[in-house]
Amino acid sequence: MKIKIKILFLFLFCTMLLILAACSDSDDKEKGNSNDESSKKEGDDEQVTLRMTWWGSQSRHDQTQEIIDLFEEENPDIKIDSEFTGWDGYFEKMAASAAGNNLPDIMQQNFGEYLNQYADKELLADLTPFIEDGLINLDGVSDTVIDSGIQEGKVLGIPTGTNALTVIYNKTLLDEAGVEVPDEDWTWDEHNQIANDVHNATGEYGTRHFDVDLVFEYYLREKGFKLFNEDGTDLGYEDDQLLTDYFTMVKKLIDEDISPGPDVIQQIQGIEDELVVHGKSPFDFRWSNQLGALAGAAEGQKLGMTMLPGEDITKGMYLKPAMLWSISENSEYKEEAARFIDFFLSTTKVYEIGGADRGVPIKQEIRDELSPSLNEVDQQVYDYIDLVTENSSPIDSNFPPESSEILSKLEEIDELVMYGEISPEEGAIQFREEAVSILGR
Amino acid sequence: MILVNQDLFLPNFREVKVLSHKNTQETIDLKIVKKKGIKREGYQNKTGYMFISPFLIGLLGLTLFPILYSLYLSFTDFDLLGKADWIGLDNYVRMFTTDETFKKSLNVTLFYAGIAVPLRLIFALAVALALNKVVEMVGLYRTLLYLPSIVGGSIAVSIMWKQLFGNDGAVNAILESIGLTTYSWLGDPGLAIWTLIVLYGWQFGSSMLIFLAGLRNIPQTYYEASSVDGAGPIKQFFIITIPLLTPVILFNTIMQVIQGFMAFTPSFIITEGGPINSTLLYVLYMYRRAFEYFDMGYASAMAWFMLVIIAAFTALIFKSSSHWVHYESDD
Repeated sequence: MKIKIKILFLFLFCTMLLILAACSDSDDKEKGNSNDESSKKEGDDEQVTLRMTWWGSQSRHDQTQEIIDLFEEENPDIKIDSEFTGWDGYFEKMAASAAGNNLPDIMQQNFGEYLNQYADKELLADLTPFIEDGLINLDGVSDTVIDSGIQEGKVLGIPTGTNALTVIYNKTLLDEAGVEVPDEDWTWDEHNQIANDVHNATGEYGTRHFDVDLVFEYYLREKGFKLFNEDGTDLGYEDDQLLTDYFTMVKKLIDEDISPGPDVIQQIQGIEDELVVHGKSPFDFRWSNQLGALAGAAEGQKLGMTMLPGEDITKGMYLKPAMLWSISENSEYKEEAARFIDFFLSTTKVYEIGGADRGVPIKQEIRDELSPSLNEVDQQVYDYIDLVTENSSPIDSNFPPESSEILSKLEEIDELVMYGEISPEEGAIQFREEAVSILGR
Repeated sequence: MILVNQDLFLPNFREVKVLSHKNTQETIDLKIVKKKGIKREGYQNKTGYMFISPFLIGLLGLTLFPILYSLYLSFTDFDLLGKADWIGLDNYVRMFTTDETFKKSLNVTLFYAGIAVPLRLIFALAVALALNKVVEMVGLYRTLLYLPSIVGGSIAVSIMWKQLFGNDGAVNAILESIGLTTYSWLGDPGLAIWTLIVLYGWQFGSSMLIFLAGLRNIPQTYYEASSVDGAGPIKQFFIITIPLLTPVILFNTIMQVIQGFMAFTPSFIITEGGPINSTLLYVLYMYRRAFEYFDMGYASAMAWFMLVIIAAFTALIFKSSSHWVHYESDD
């Protein structure tokens, strides 16, 4: 008995020790950091520490850290503490920081519902004064690009780079099926035909199930409609037949086994696992900056990119800021933060390190400077953005703050339809009901 | 060996009596102190409060305040970023009238808890019964069987489950190799919830330990006496084991019902609530409302409704316990 109790005590003691050790370790780190800062502050009164956050993949974390090191080297009076996560959880974390009035000085912001929401709550600083006095130099940036960061007359974010929707195709698989690579001007019927041919010839899927939140908006634009009306109080289209047609088309592809259903898509774990990477589908609809990640994972498969299919592609296609740099309203060092943003936009080296991961540079001079040294994949993305620039219409920025909920409703209904729980007609009607009820709250 | 273990688990009755005797003496001492002077008692109380102050501060600041604050928030439209405006019962009205997803998540959770909790209890009891018969290396078996529960709530097990039941996962590979049909376990709206239920059942460790302690506490003499009277093992199980175990069953049931309703990780990690919301557990939906749609007020209202549901179930179980729980009389 006694021995047992002794052993128990010993065990508990060790556990406690471990826990304490684990706790104190992190304490030490924090202390170490703050010591670092204070000692630097003592040595150099000017030094300012900025907090900066972004979301992304591991490669983006590494690249961004490299960019920060470069910036700190050139600007010894500024130190940047970085915090980064994946996309999942990023805005949850930011929301908690905002609630505590503790947003980072520099924050990677997303175009659309998030920017609108932050604008609505007045959490972001107006960058106009910094642009006017030249601290952020926007020479050679097209107005449409700058406009995408403007809300209610204030410049709340500067795009890190440009993005566009694209169809990434697997040339190896298309060749194997003996099908021609589609040109930039193709219709949905042609897409479905090619998908059918590839499926029949190779037994692989003919296309990938579309992410409805991306593709349906394009589908509406291409037919001359918008997802939301001008002031973001209602859906931007009257006729439910549009969504019915879209659902019917996609459902048919799944029913004929040309496209995988949502149960297959759900199993895909990360971008390296995508069907197009492994030659299991010739097409994949997504954002252009992701070609690099896909091509990096695709061994022995040649990938290319083309525009989305449709009747009026120019009307449908648009350029989107890949993401934006914003400065929070509660930041004490807005000027220093602005200097970092300017550094990011105007330094060729930044894009040499980062490639097209945060989109194609918004400044013409940097694009020109980089183009001779680009690798094949980045060159493809640059060319593609040039192509879209000439064949596109402005992006719709009238997304209401509730749109993230509405879009996830759309995904939910898409699943219901694809699983055959409800018909395309019912799905279209249900989406309108749900959207109106969310907007009317 | 078994006797020693019994001692470890539950002090026998005589020890308890000795303890209570000691207590009365302490109260007597306290009374004497009281007579001597109130000042000293106040000082003693202060010291006592100081000693428990780390706990008290934690309880008040980190538990009680947030709980009450969330009650306040449930009557507001707080969205994390902006101010909280009082909107009265709007959140609750919306919950019960217009929100279909809320109803769906409630149904899913009732179904999940309704099946997973009994499954876990039966499993735990069965394993405890088996372990009770094991004579050698009890500690090893106990630890091994308890392990899944220690790591059970964690992300790692959920990710493992996702791999096991994936379309190309181990389960399908085994089924295929023995010539059976494979299923899309996580992709089929009818099946996905069952993989989560099986996971819940598999993490039976803590209930099992408590059952095992309860079983060890049943005096061996009852079994000996009944076997003299000609009762077989099955009969013994129903006339001795189950009745004497009912207090433990009651405890386990209540704990597990609470846990079952609060399950979150499996549906968050393994299925993300899908397919078509067939595994959207209540707490996951609450999380989404709070942190994905920034609908904090509404999520707070959901949390309070959850409290009501759990309280109601617990009360029901307690009420019913007078009909089926047997306590041995003290003398």
